[in-house]
Formats: sequence, C-alpha cells, structure tokens
Amino acid sequence: MKKILLATLIAACAGHAMAADLLDTVKQRGTLKIAVEGTYPPFTFKDANQQLTGFDVEVAAEVAKRLKVKPEFTTGEWSGLLAGLQAGKFDVVVNQVGITDKRKETFDFSQPYTYSSAQLIVRKNESRVFKSLDDLKGKKVGVGQGSNYADMVKAVNGIEVKVYPSAPENLQDLATGRIDAALNDSLLIPFAIKQAKLPLKAGHPVGDITTMGIPFAKNNPKFKQAVDKALNDMKADGSFKKISAKWFGIDVSKAPTAAK
Amino acid sequence: MEWAGLIEAALPVMLKGALYTLMFAVVAMVLGLLLGFVVALLRVGKVPVLSQLVAFYVSAMRGTPLLVQIFVIYYGLPGIGIELEPVPAGVLALTLNVAAYLSESLRGGIAGVERGQWDAGLSLGLSWWQTMRYIVAPQALRLSVPSLSNSLISLIKDTSLVSVITVTELMLATKEVIAQTFQPLPLYLGAAALYWMMSASFERLQKRVERKLELAHQR
Repeated sequence: MKKILLATLIAACAGHAMAADLLDTVKQRGTLKIAVEGTYPPFTFKDANQQLTGFDVEVAAEVAKRLKVKPEFTTGEWSGLLAGLQAGKFDVVVNQVGITDKRKETFDFSQPYTYSSAQLIVRKNESRVFKSLDDLKGKKVGVGQGSNYADMVKAVNGIEVKVYPSAPENLQDLATGRIDAALNDSLLIPFAIKQAKLPLKAGHPVGDITTMGIPFAKNNPKFKQAVDKALNDMKADGSFKKISAKWFGIDVSKAPTAAK
Repeated sequence: MEWAGLIEAALPVMLKGALYTLMFAVVAMVLGLLLGFVVALLRVGKVPVLSQLVAFYVSAMRGTPLLVQIFVIYYGLPGIGIELEPVPAGVLALTLNVAAYLSESLRGGIAGVERGQWDAGLSLGLSWWQTMRYIVAPQALRLSVPSLSNSLISLIKDTSLVSVITVTELMLATKEVIAQTFQPLPLYLGAAALYWMMSASFERLQKRVERKLELAHQR
C-alpha cells in the first residue's frame, strides 16, 4: 500500500516537473477547457433555450478560436471554480475574475480584458444616500460568496456583511428589505435590474476600478503569450468591441463610467 | 399566473437535473448498502485490524460535513495524483458518506437480535457466518429498515451538494434558471416539490419492503 502511494506521489511530482507548457497540452488535446459559473448574467448564464451564453462565454469562445482549438465549457458554482482551476480540472476560468494580488499568488493572469468598478445597488424608493462604503457602517450589505466585493465590504469595520451564493438571491433580499444595499459589478446592474423586474436602482460606484483577467496555472509563459495575443488581436480587429457592445452598449476594455 | 408559465418553461431543465439527482441517489444507495453491510460485518465480527480501521472510517465520515468530503475528493485528491471526473467523484463521496451511516443502522439491527438466536444457531452446528446469514441477518434487516430508510432519504437530498463540483443536478439546474429569470421563490419551491416527490416514492418502496419482512411476524 505504502509503495503504491509512494509511486503515485513520485509519478505525480515527476509529471509536474516535466509538464509541457499549457499551450502544448491544449493544442494537443484540441480543446480549451473553460469553466464558467453559468448563473452570472449577463456574463455567463443560460438563455431561455438553455444555451450557455453571455459576454464572457463569447469572449472565451473567441479566444479558443484564435488558439485554433474548440472551446469546452463547464458550469459550476463560483465557490468551486478557482479550486477546480487549482486542481487542474480546467485550463481557464472566464467569469469576470478580478485580478488581485492574493489570486496572483496562486495563478497567472492574462492581460486585463474588462475594466469595471464595484457599485452599490439599492431599493428604488431608497431615500438615504450612500456615497461610499463608510456611509454603510451599521447597515447590512449583501455580496457574493468568495467575490472581491465580499473582501471590499469586510475590509470596512462596522458593516454587517451578508454573504449570498449568487446575485439573484442577493437582489431578491434587497428588494424585500432584508438588507440595505448590495455590492456588485457595475456592468451587472443594468441587466440585472431589467431582467429581475425588482424595484431596484443603481447606487453610487465605490472603490477603485477593478480589472478582470483570465486566470490559469502558473508558469505557462507560452500559454500566457498566446492568450494575450488573442485578446490583443480581438481588440485590434474590433471583434472585442462588437461583443462588448452587444452585452453592455459600451466598450468594457476601457475604464468605465458608472451604470445607471 | 405568471408562476405557471415560469414553472412550465423551467420544468424540462429541472427534470433533467432531477434525473441526475436520481442517478446519483440510486447508484450511491446500492453501493452504499453493499459497503455499509461489509463495514457492519467487519465490526460485529470483530475482525482484527480491519474492524479498527472501519471504525475510524465511520467516525471520520460521520464527523465531517459531506460538503467538505466532496471538496477533498474532487479538488483535493488531484494534489496527490488521483484525478476523478465530477460524476465518479460525486458518487464516491456520497457512497462513502452514506455507507458509514448505513453500517451503523445495520450494526444496530444486528445488536437488536437476541443473544439466544446466536446460541441456538451455533448449538445446531452452524458456523458463525451461517448463523449470521440464515438466522441473525434476516431479523436484523427487519429491525433496521426504518433507520436505513432515514439515511437513504437523506441521501436523495444530500445529492444537492454535488452542484459544487460542476454537476448540473437538480439544485444547480434550478439556480441556472433563477439566474436567467431572477425569480427564486417559485423555482426553489418547484425544486422542493421534485425532491419531495423522489423521497415520497422511496417511502412507498420502504413500506413495501417493511410489509414483506413483516410476513414472518404476522399472527
């Protein structure tokens, strides 16, 4: 038993040391394994015909096309996506992953492909004005589990943080008055409010501009170069702008303005 | 009124998810019962080393959350070179978990059979295994059916946890529709109804098994 375990361990380590660049692995396989949440409209979600769609899905498919491989999508809960990437279950996660120092310790990122900012969402009839997170001290704020918005709110002392599995539950609770505000991606807001038909409105943008990138396993310089080139080419030939305009009406590869 | 249309649109997706849920539940039930029986026998038979080993296993499985076990098996094991696809990983986690509970129910059933039954069997010249097989086990099974069913019905609902390893079972299917419609209440209620229906049909099965095992005890 011990011998088998030892042999597996050695094999695993050796496999690691001799591993080819992710780009070679992907090309050889002929597919790019892409993980998305599938429950985060308008970035990754299923449409009325149960087709996986959204901004990130289109961007990821375009990147795969430019790597000359087929995209292979997997949907799963956000709480498992980065763990799965770390465990090598997929090649990339394309789901508005914020580029943070902490995540950079574990993954390498492509160049940023979306600029966005954190923005508050409040009830339509809200008369109080929350201009910054400091104004929300003593109030209840809803955020997504494991999101950078959760980290932002937790960093401010005195805010009662409510953590939700995903945006729909969060917005529902905001509409029913169980929380005072929700914090999410400014790009999500117009779509969510329109789609949710909930009495909500966009609040003030808070915090710095965040950049989103595509994370993948560390030490794959050829893969990084290829993905960055694909993104650059997409920006250069206008195909990125087209996808962006379709979903947001603006070019999100540039620094944002607040959502209305 | 709006709810009806919503449920109607969501139903095909949710039924497909429910099929996955049922598949997980049934496979884990069968494998779990087999494993649970072996574990119970090893403990009752006081097999040296193995009985301590399985006692440790039962304690670990009952003492840690299923969600953690799923994470360890799917996301943790690749760290030591063991790669499992989502479905086998989910089945493995559910089976290992439910088998621990089932083994304890079976052990309780076996302990509930009077000592005299053993003595009678052994005095007739039956071996330990024959006594277990022909005299004790049938009676133990009858005693353990209600608590076995408890674990198995829990298992149907526990399958919702495998949504964290990218399997679109009923729960994740429901969440995907909610993300598209932002209508949590009717859709979660719909999912609840489906889980309930699956559990209820299992309850009917339990009743039939109970009636069958009861036959020898009717007067």
